[in-house]
Amino acid sequence: MVIEYLYPEIANLFGDSANFKYLRQSLPEAEFVETALNDVPAFAQRKVDLIYMGPMSENHQILALTKLRPYRDKLAELIENGTHFLMTGNSFEIFGHYIENDGLKTDGLDILDFHSVTDIGHRYNGFFLGERNGVKITAFNSRFSHSYPDGNCSGFAKVLRGHGINKEHGFEGITKNNFVGTYLLGPLLVLNPLYTKGLLEKLGANTKPAFFEASMDAYKRRLDEFEDKERNLD
Amino acid sequence: MIRFYIALWAAKLSQFLLRLLGRKGTYFAGKLAIKLCPDFIGRIGRPKTLIGVTGTNGKTTVSNMLNDVFASWGIELMNNRYGSNVDAGVASALIESAGICGKCKKDIGVLEIDERSARLIYPYLKPDYLLITNLFRDSMRRNAHPQYIADILTKHIPKESKLILNADDLISSSVAPSNDRCYFGISRLPNEPDARENIVQDVRICPVCAQRLVFDFRRYNHIGKAHCPDCGFSSPTPNYLLDSIDFDGAKMRVKESGETNEYKLTANAVYNIYNSLSVIALLREMGYSSEKIASAFDSLKVVQSRFWEEEINGKPLTVIMAKGLNAVACTRSFDYVSTEPGTKSVVLMLDDVFDEKESSENIAWLYDADFEFLRDPSITQIVTVGVRSLDSKVRLLIAGVDESKIVAVTDEKEAASKVDIEGADKIFLLYELYRYDSAVAVRNQIAQRMKEVL
Ligand SMILES: [Zn+2]
Repeated sequence: MVIEYLYPEIANLFGDSANFKYLRQSLPEAEFVETALNDVPAFAQRKVDLIYMGPMSENHQILALTKLRPYRDKLAELIENGTHFLMTGNSFEIFGHYIENDGLKTDGLDILDFHSVTDIGHRYNGFFLGERNGVKITAFNSRFSHSYPDGNCSGFAKVLRGHGINKEHGFEGITKNNFVGTYLLGPLLVLNPLYTKGLLEKLGANTKPAFFEASMDAYKRRLDEFEDKERNLD
Repeated sequence: MIRFYIALWAAKLSQFLLRLLGRKGTYFAGKLAIKLCPDFIGRIGRPKTLIGVTGTNGKTTVSNMLNDVFASWGIELMNNRYGSNVDAGVASALIESAGICGKCKKDIGVLEIDERSARLIYPYLKPDYLLITNLFRDSMRRNAHPQYIADILTKHIPKESKLILNADDLISSSVAPSNDRCYFGISRLPNEPDARENIVQDVRICPVCAQRLVFDFRRYNHIGKAHCPDCGFSSPTPNYLLDSIDFDGAKMRVKESGETNEYKLTANAVYNIYNSLSVIALLREMGYSSEKIASAFDSLKVVQSRFWEEEINGKPLTVIMAKGLNAVACTRSFDYVSTEPGTKSVVLMLDDVFDEKESSENIAWLYDADFEFLRDPSITQIVTVGVRSLDSKVRLLIAGVDESKIVAVTDEKEAASKVDIEGADKIFLLYELYRYDSAVAVRNQIAQRMKEVL
């Protein structure tokens, strides 16, 4: 199994590299590749099972988009074929039609049917409680941008508390086949051991995530807090 | 104009009344004045020379040091030392120093200025000198990412301000590129490794061509000297270069435009030595002689990094302020504890006080902090304390700490009883700034047990 982290030198703003580290500890047999901006990505050269990318500053997001543009068709093909993608924070916006920031529109990879709008003047912070295939998702949001589906897009998780991909939408994230794009940032996989367990199974690994019992204990406590209506989670 | 005077007098009256009540309501007067007169900061009299101090870490230390230096010269400053560093705090400081007609009674002012308040302050108040200590990853809620803060500064810093910048910090040294500027920096010291690996390293690529930067030397995080192998971009050359430290003799040597001067070392940790150096650079730029600065430094007390150590029945118990939600500051403390000689038991009280009752805590920052330092074999026990103790436990496991060394305690009252008093040579307690009172309580319970057991 091969797992690739795209652009770790810029795509790690909020403890997100923990996702890659946690996968590494959960899948000791797998091969882990870190691809720098000026490298040829592994997915362009051989079979990769999961591609990960995390949130970036606004300038770096455009830089990553520029670097991925030559591989646009390959990425579209991989998404179509069911390769796993986990794109957290604003990294998934690269795959939409365009990213708008302060009146300036940058063409995206135009693979998925949505667009994004960045507003540097307004930061949205909040906690997120959602549900995906019966599994509760607990996570954090901190971002300047929102995304808007332009056609039929499926979401990553149904919103129970907090915001989805935009303020009105009932779903968080954008998915297609095994592509998962989500604004939820930070150590998402560590925070959600049940979701991670499912992901490992889908990747064909018959194993529990690393430190499963300890992360379940922490997850249960967090879930209790997130489900507590008395708490302010905005 | 009438509006301004009404605002000034109302604010002065409120300051007077609050003082009668024994309150240090320094924020309120400024807030009131700005509410009554939105451009109040621009209308009220300012000192002839105004110094601004901003940046992620070290603002308060630098501002305090400047106050002490000027005090040693018999100069009383206009400052916000006891107030807040946002626009209202700045306004309060100006009101405090203003006469009844709004004229400033002080010649020199030092203002600590919050980075994000740039937009509300600099359009009205233009510092002659602006010292930027550094820019680091900070609270994600308020500060997003360091480039966001750098962009805010570049956008709002007045073009007439002379900048005093950290040459070893490629984020803060690149703000407002057209402003007049000078740089301070510290060469690699004899005991420092080539590169300290940290999770947070926010300058990895060349800002010009995106090639991976080569660090000739990296002190911590993104602090160091770098160059681009492709386009020739490199860290700026310091005008004030600290090139040698004599820790035993408590001296530091600074090379400044051809001459070499010695100053008393007023801090032990490198991140605090940067603060001292920045003060020297600023004062030299203002035209003060190195002799005069050196004699002022002789009277300064050594900065202890929020640190309290006491030996109890022969065993040291050390309390360190670690600043929760701030991964870089916590990492400094973890690094320090791991390199202390002897075996150690470490108590962590890092949960955010405000989040725990009414909300929850965004714990992503735990994964930016290098808990990996705590994997050191010299650390024989780690007690994580608080509602987030289970999250800290997972973080420690992922950092490679053996599960048998970790004790997670939710209730602070039980923390002291879990500490292995006899097993380790030293006991450390790391606490989040706003958790001081409960940290002291836990510390006293540990001390009590040490008195009984040892
Ligand atoms: Zn370059």
